[in-house]
Amino acid sequence: MKSFLSFILIIVSVNTDLYAAEAGMPQLDPTYWASQVFWLILVFSILYISIAKFYLPKIKNNLDNRENKIKEDLEDANKFKDQSEIKLKEYEKILENAKKEVSKIYLESKNNLDKEIRSKKDKIEKEIENEIVKAHREITALKKNSITSIQNISVNIAGNIIENLSGDKLNESSVKAVVEDVSKKNLDKYL
Amino acid sequence: MQQFTVHRIGPEIKIAGIDLSFTNASLFMILSATLILLLLFVGSKEKKIIPDKIQLITEMFYSFVAKMISDTAGSKAKPYFPFIFSLFMFVLFCNMVGMLPYSFTVTSHIIVTLIMALFIFVAVTIIGFIKHGFKYLSIFVPSGVPTVLMPLITIIEIISYLSRPVSLSVRLFANMMAGHTMLKVFGGFVVSLGILGGWLPLSFSVALTGLEILVAFLQAYVFAILTCIYLNDALNLHH
Repeated sequence: MKSFLSFILIIVSVNTDLYAAEAGMPQLDPTYWASQVFWLILVFSILYISIAKFYLPKIKNNLDNRENKIKEDLEDANKFKDQSEIKLKEYEKILENAKKEVSKIYLESKNNLDKEIRSKKDKIEKEIENEIVKAHREITALKKNSITSIQNISVNIAGNIIENLSGDKLNESSVKAVVEDVSKKNLDKYL
Repeated sequence: MQQFTVHRIGPEIKIAGIDLSFTNASLFMILSATLILLLLFVGSKEKKIIPDKIQLITEMFYSFVAKMISDTAGSKAKPYFPFIFSLFMFVLFCNMVGMLPYSFTVTSHIIVTLIMALFIFVAVTIIGFIKHGFKYLSIFVPSGVPTVLMPLITIIEIISYLSRPVSLSVRLFANMMAGHTMLKVFGGFVVSLGILGGWLPLSFSVALTGLEILVAFLQAYVFAILTCIYLNDALNLHH
């Protein structure tokens, strides 16, 4: 097909006038060939120069800009993502530390409170014991005092009773000795 | 065939006895080039990160041609990118403008396509000789061929190399002319068959118009990619 067409073309270009007249193919009429070639070269040169010098660099620049921008944005996004991950880790660490501290503080304050409570309790218990001991001492002192005063009273009463009954005035020291003797014997019964 | 006739517009311009008058062909070349420049101007006017429609179209054209070149001719062909881009856009817009009713198809003229193909052929040959010197002639001697067949293969290779401009130009010209002629023929059928029988060729015409738009794009693509392949042969000696 290709070779056939080129064959026809060669024949036709040899006998242009003849063939053009017969088939009426305006393409093979050489009147305006020079004009077409001239204008083709002129127009195409202008087109080529303005495209090569002006438009293609512009379009290329545009495309490169976009590619760079996309690349930069992607890099930025990745960087920010990494940063946010680091921040998140930091935050988690802080949170963990805070939790640890909270439990530590809780334990500490609990221990302190316990200690304080215990020490206060001990102190109070000691005070109470002291008070009790003191009270006991007072009581025993009172008992002793009461015994001597009871003996005195009993010596007096016994002396008076004997005086009234017998009318003799007795020696106070002998009465006292008897009372002391009796009370020593019977003291356990009263106290 | 009236749609293919070239006629003068305005005064006759003669330089050294050669008629260089402004014709309807020149007009449509200028129209196509203006449309391309307009598209590129609007498309590259603003440096938007998110492109609008026209900017997107120009950038699609750019990356389409860039990918085509890097796929077929590799990174060495980068300096020729503006030329191939201009070539692709020019052929595409001439083809597409030619699809408009009452317009003129610049690329349906053999002289136009032949000049472009010859320019590419000569340029590629010169590039080949500049890059490789006389070693470039080894393109005609494929490796791994039996010695007996070598002279025959070499002759075939030389013929195929020399027929490149012819095949390149005739492919574009014939496709464009055949498509437009076919549309014209079916359009004529619509008129001659009238309101009763004209519907069938009319629907054919509609389908053919779609096909012709596809062909217009495809031929521009083929023209550009063949240029890339020839350039690849000149830049990277494969044989």
